[in-house]
Amino acid sequence: MPDTQVTLDAVSDEALARRIAGGPAGSTDAEESALYRRFAPRVRLYGRRHLRSAEGADDLAQEVLLLTIERLRAGDVQKVEQIGSFILGTSRMMCHSERRLSKRREALAARFADTAVETAPPSLSALDTPRVTTCLRGLPSRERLVLLLTYYAEREAPRIAEDLGLSPGAVRTIRHRAMGRLRDCVTGGLRS
Amino acid sequence: MTALRCDRLALADLTDYTAGELSATEAAAMEAHLFSCADCAARAAELDALVRAIPPAVRSAEVGGFVTDDVLNTLARQGVHVRTFVLSPGAVVPCAVWEDDEVMAVRMRGNFGEADEVTMSQRVDGQEVVRATGHVTASSPGEIIYTLSAAWVRQLPVVNVEVVLTTNSEGQERTIGSYTLVHGGSLQR
Repeated sequence: MPDTQVTLDAVSDEALARRIAGGPAGSTDAEESALYRRFAPRVRLYGRRHLRSAEGADDLAQEVLLLTIERLRAGDVQKVEQIGSFILGTSRMMCHSERRLSKRREALAARFADTAVETAPPSLSALDTPRVTTCLRGLPSRERLVLLLTYYAEREAPRIAEDLGLSPGAVRTIRHRAMGRLRDCVTGGLRS
Repeated sequence: MTALRCDRLALADLTDYTAGELSATEAAAMEAHLFSCADCAARAAELDALVRAIPPAVRSAEVGGFVTDDVLNTLARQGVHVRTFVLSPGAVVPCAVWEDDEVMAVRMRGNFGEADEVTMSQRVDGQEVVRATGHVTASSPGEIIYTLSAAWVRQLPVVNVEVVLTTNSEGQERTIGSYTLVHGGSLQR
């Protein structure tokens, strides 16, 4: 891991945002990359929940973070100490105005074409498919089926509950247990 | 792995969030916390990576096991080649997979009665090679669907696979049906 990244990892969100806001354009590439690494996964998660689209969520993460950096540089973020709230608010706003995204995307891409903001593809943090496959195979049948119906077939809980002859609460409990087992299997029992 | 200090959001909370189980108010409160807490955000990112890894794993056709039509239909919509065999009790069915098949789905029909759980035993030359427990679902009354990787089936020799479905009710084992798949190898177009 480069020294700069190690140093920046210890910097608070607020300090990071202040450096971007206060630095001349082109001098805060490392800080911008650090901000992206910190918040892009959260925006992606938000996007998947609200847009119901993995691709849409990836786009949203890029748009929101690029816009955040643009606003910081322009001095448009009034409460820099609440940069997380700003990014969440921007995520909400952009989700609600999805139709405007494509136009902004083109404009922002042109504007930031020469910056070094790290927009690593999400696949870098993806898990090893054979390992996940093995772990899914090892789950009890009903737990595996609930995960497949939820996260692959994208079925709502009431439908899963009706199909399996269970209450929605029971489906929820099975899903919790299954995700715990899957996580433990994939990480080899290492827990954060 | 560094220990995370904030544990306000447990795996169960995050699982409910990713599954869309939270009300709008609950989801908004969780999002507000996630965007201000690096520890919980790290935990969420870990779970999100797991959730994102499930579809490619299922599409790889190697997960197998008991499924429903919802899963089979999603596979088909995503262009996964599914070869389906429908078996009634006592049936002897020639089975073979084509070289471009990815998943083999076996629909085993029978009188499941009040059973909600069944045990499937697959035997080759009298020896059990697979034993799995599955659940009867409302969307597929009178049948249960089991999937296998077509690649695994292709490497089998020409052989008869005996499949027996049983259920256990009040300590009594009842056979729902016996089925025979006459595996004829892999077919090429």
